[in-house]
Amino acid sequence: MDIQMKRGLLDLCVLSAIKDEDSYGYQIIKDIKPYIEISESTLYPILRRLEMADLLTVRTVEYNGRLRKYYHITDMGIKRIQDFKTEWDEIKNIYNFVTREEAQ
Amino acid sequence: MTKSEFLKTLETELCVLPQADVQNTLDFYNEMIDDRIEEGVLEEDAVSQVGDAQEIAKQIIMETPISKLVKQKIKSKRSMTAVEIVLLILGSPIWLSLIVSGFAVLLSVYLSIWAIVISLWACEVSFIGGILGGIVSACIICATGQNVYAGAVMLAAGLFLVGFSILFFFVCKAATSCMVWISKKMLLWIKSLFLRKEQK
Repeated sequence: MDIQMKRGLLDLCVLSAIKDEDSYGYQIIKDIKPYIEISESTLYPILRRLEMADLLTVRTVEYNGRLRKYYHITDMGIKRIQDFKTEWDEIKNIYNFVTREEAQ
Repeated sequence: MTKSEFLKTLETELCVLPQADVQNTLDFYNEMIDDRIEEGVLEEDAVSQVGDAQEIAKQIIMETPISKLVKQKIKSKRSMTAVEIVLLILGSPIWLSLIVSGFAVLLSVYLSIWAIVISLWACEVSFIGGILGGIVSACIICATGQNVYAGAVMLAAGLFLVGFSILFFFVCKAATSCMVWISKKMLLWIKSLFLRKEQK
């Protein structure tokens, strides 16, 4: 897949992985993996970027005698997912345009 | 590789980044490995699943904006001892002049190569002048009814220059495009020099 496109989709996947309840790094990877290829080294910069953009917040929780970071989606993050739904119609139009010759 | 070895490598490789960023990265990977171990994965396997520490560090540094790296570099420079600063200032007449003269030499070499190219073009212009001169003088000599042979020689010289200047034009063009290519390469080289310095 095109790198730029994958980047945008990965952002959305991470956001939707924490949409219903807060989650932590390893759990996010396990949740997303069936749908899109992701590794620790890809997830880390995404989480940083989403945090910088105020799409999610981080809190550290003590778990089993060690620390674990939980990621919580913000209202802006939820809005980002909503926006994607409307963008999808545009993408479908673009898809139809790009593949129009094959359809004939 | 054990977890602590992995984290140690990561920390050393990331030393160009601000301390807070380094700690953040270490925490993240520490947690990732711990979560795997808790799931029953052997420590060594958990570490190798997470990835190669050097590769991870390289990727993080590449994704960090240059401005941040430079800022960090300047910050770490501030921690120079007083002796180092004094030496740096005292030595400035030496190293500063060395750097300046080094750049001056490079620049003059570069400019003199350009001078060759310019002089080639000057030759081309003079050849074209020679063509015009030859033909005009041949016309004048013939019109005034002077020595016909002299006029023929002038005309022949003019025609010869026509052919020669066409050939010479391609030589000039090749020399110029060669110089442009060299300039581009040099620019790239200088840029990479700075980038490498900033990343280290």
